[in-house]
Amino acid sequence: MSARADAIAAGAHAPAAPRRIALDPQGRLWTLLAAATCLLPLLLQLPARMAVAIAAIGAGVAAMAARRALPGWLRLLLALGLLGYVMASSRFAFGRDTGCALLAAMLAIKPVELATLRDARSLLGFALFAPFSTFLLDQGPLSLALGLLGASLALAALLRLSDLESGDVSRATAPWRWLLGVLRLVAIGLPLALAAFWLFPRIATPLWGVPERALARPGLSDRMSPGEWVDFMSDDSPVLRAKFSGPAPPTSRMYWRGPVLWNFDGRTWTQPQWLRGLPPAPVEHAARGWDYEMELEPTDRRQLVALELPTRAPEGAALSYDFGLYVPRPLNALTRWRMHSAPPVAFDPKLKVMLRAMALRLPEGYNPRTLALARQWRREAGADDDAIVARALRWIRADFAYTLTTPLLGRDSVDEFLFEQKAGFCEHFSSAFVVLMRAAGIPARVVTGYAGGYYNRYGDYWVVRRLDAHAWAEVWLQGRGWVRVDPTAAVAPERIYDTLDDRAAGTFGRRLVPVLDMGDWLRRGWNDFVLGFDAARQQRLLRPLGIDQLGQGRLIALFACVAGLALGWMLWLTARSERQRDPLLRAWHRLSARYARLGLARAPHEPAGAWAARVAAARPGASELPTLSARFADWRYARGDGRKQGRRELDELVRALRRHRP
Amino acid sequence: MAMPRQSAIDRTPPGFAGLRARALSWARPRRPEPLPATLDRHRVYILPTAFGWFFLLLLLAMLVGALNYNNNPALLLALLLGGAANTSLFAAHLQLSGLDVVAIDAEPVAAGRPLQLSLHARARQGRERRGLRVECGGSAATLSLDDGAGSATLEIPTRRRGWLDPGRVRLSTTRPLGLARAWAWVWPESPLLVYPAPEANGPPLPTGSGDQAQARLHPAGDDVHHLRAYRRGDPRRAIAWKPSARHGALLVREYEQPVGADIVLDWRAVDGLAWEDRIRRLARWVDEAEREGRRWRLQLPGQPPLGPARGADHRHACLRALALLPFAGGDDVGAR
Repeated sequence: MSARADAIAAGAHAPAAPRRIALDPQGRLWTLLAAATCLLPLLLQLPARMAVAIAAIGAGVAAMAARRALPGWLRLLLALGLLGYVMASSRFAFGRDTGCALLAAMLAIKPVELATLRDARSLLGFALFAPFSTFLLDQGPLSLALGLLGASLALAALLRLSDLESGDVSRATAPWRWLLGVLRLVAIGLPLALAAFWLFPRIATPLWGVPERALARPGLSDRMSPGEWVDFMSDDSPVLRAKFSGPAPPTSRMYWRGPVLWNFDGRTWTQPQWLRGLPPAPVEHAARGWDYEMELEPTDRRQLVALELPTRAPEGAALSYDFGLYVPRPLNALTRWRMHSAPPVAFDPKLKVMLRAMALRLPEGYNPRTLALARQWRREAGADDDAIVARALRWIRADFAYTLTTPLLGRDSVDEFLFEQKAGFCEHFSSAFVVLMRAAGIPARVVTGYAGGYYNRYGDYWVVRRLDAHAWAEVWLQGRGWVRVDPTAAVAPERIYDTLDDRAAGTFGRRLVPVLDMGDWLRRGWNDFVLGFDAARQQRLLRPLGIDQLGQGRLIALFACVAGLALGWMLWLTARSERQRDPLLRAWHRLSARYARLGLARAPHEPAGAWAARVAAARPGASELPTLSARFADWRYARGDGRKQGRRELDELVRALRRHRP
Repeated sequence: MAMPRQSAIDRTPPGFAGLRARALSWARPRRPEPLPATLDRHRVYILPTAFGWFFLLLLLAMLVGALNYNNNPALLLALLLGGAANTSLFAAHLQLSGLDVVAIDAEPVAAGRPLQLSLHARARQGRERRGLRVECGGSAATLSLDDGAGSATLEIPTRRRGWLDPGRVRLSTTRPLGLARAWAWVWPESPLLVYPAPEANGPPLPTGSGDQAQARLHPAGDDVHHLRAYRRGDPRRAIAWKPSARHGALLVREYEQPVGADIVLDWRAVDGLAWEDRIRRLARWVDEAEREGRRWRLQLPGQPPLGPARGADHRHACLRALALLPFAGGDDVGAR
């Protein structure tokens, strides 16, 4: 103790003795506000009941601890209780979700000890982890906005706390001043941060773990039970955005092909897994195709969608027998694909016997009325498959209606739909149509995907939304192979080749359309520059400049260069700030610095003339300096008012001072 | 000035503290410097605080996690925080660099009483410099610049008479984010004077040598006086508090020429005491004579007599001469 006291008294002691600075009410308010804002987006990601419990405990703890310090046993009890609750809710399975919930819980009970500056700082440090974990769970605009707001508030609270530490809290400062301070800090740090973001080498495959919970909204599944897509079709979040180089197909031909469903058990259509192993069927494509780049939102599935019909698999994907595109890993992040598609002229014109049998198979004992009708049509049409297809479409167009509100269908779902309901949406139409065709002896299958698209004129791209999900049919006709038939389009084409216009009914909605378009365009830019950036795109970063592949080493070198530039810029700002603004004084100081190297520095209090005389005495032969110093003194002290007139004279003097060497 | 200076750095402490002392010997400035001194970027040092290290650890964890999952928003958040933290280092640096420490001064006090050391600083306007911590000799104060100038007052303990070298003064700040502490040393050349401590209980003043030895001034009874502005060194009891409060400035009562005999305070007359005790008794007498408004003459060995005179200046001259008397046997250590 005494040694310490001595050392302090000696004044030769570098750090201040650790001080316990009590937190003032305003600082406490800032800290709690920032921590709560950081916690909020994380809570929104947790199960509702747990989130409410954690929020309630957090608020209670903060209110209680503000009045007086809680006893140690109570803190321990609270912490153990909450942790136990969280662990029990997740059934003691420790993973990322549990980790995030635990973080939220710990953050909520951390304010039990919030008495000193140190407590407040550690709380803010942990609070900054909350937006980070939120982003691991969700990258939606709300999470991003709340997370950034929370982080900014935390930094502002840190500013406030260091005011407290330096004992300068007496002034009343408007809260926005702190936020402005934070913005300034972030803005100056931005070049460095962005350089690191784009140039710091990325890891292509995770070192550990993969996210358990995808950021994705589930995409089209490989099964379909008519009537279950209603949720899907009222969701207008985007699925993909496509930008065409060259002409785009008309919306009535924009069919985005997804899973092809062959097997029907009377209720559900499913995809035979083994077909993925077969090589793609032989296809003759039309000469004119479409080149486009597609940006796919995460789906958590391994299958891509593509405009009908992809001519080849893009890099990293493979084509299956029925022209589905598959990737080796689930798409749990935004991906971008360069695609080329062209409509088929002949699609698998020589259907293999086994596959033909599969495309004709129907479950035994289901839908007897449909089967009877089909047999009757076959008898009437003879061998003419086209006539049967046309007759079915005519019937559907004449007698059927489109609706999203359908009752649950019973055992013979197709019979019920065709002969009783006579109303439904794409799932019903495609399913019933394929059953009808198969019963008539025409190989048929259901294709799911998306139809249509919405053109965004700000960004010149097409956006396909989840509500564009669609199911249609393909029938196999002699000589032409698989031919797309869309029975839904026969009933309600406008409901398929959707534009937002028919949904945003009314003048208000119509006025909102440009705003929504702009919003989607901005979101695409964000996707493009931020969310979709990964190791592969990083390597292609300099492709526009002619460098095809950026290796790890080059990337590091580039990063070092740019980071060096950014740091240099900051150092330059620092050096610049202490620069003498008067050019004459600056030149004079530089001159003195030159003499300082010879040990003839001018003392701060030494007049110019006296110094020059001293130097002249020490270095005989240096006669220029006394003249210069006289001119300097004359200019600076004798002619204070006339400075503006002798601009040229001043420049001349400055030049002379700069030129002079001892 | 030939006196050995009272050094603030007395010995090199062992272990970690020793390392620190060695680092300090490399820190700029390496020798006392004349003021004004400008804190340029070469002498501003910066190191993370404990919270700064914690924050760094936090950022590293975030970066590794975000890179692993290739989670771009998380990465961007970590990088933005890192960028802001990095900028805060520069901002902390800028709080100090460009600051001019213009002067330090302190009114002399008797040894044992704290010295009020004022540090005056100036800087070009345009940048907010507030809450700079000024530390010297274990005491600290806050320096905030308003309109480009400001000052801070430190209380420095004094232990003995003579020149006090305050040693290095540290200016530091942890603003803006508290992640790093930037500091700079100022080592003013100007030593500070510490008067000898007056004897606590001593004999009264020796009687004067003139006729009107008893004609003392009674300030309370004397109604003929005028007021003048406070000057440094005026005794506190001379301050006219009520008029001062009315005028908003310190005013001091000045009495008419007090009448009293000249007193001779002679070094030789206080024999029989130890060296330091003689000094302390004389110091007490000087104070007392000044308090009573009398004229006195101070006779010190080997020096021309001071006075006879009276007033604050004379008191200062006498106490300075006493303070700067050599220590007994010229031994510096014995007095500690």
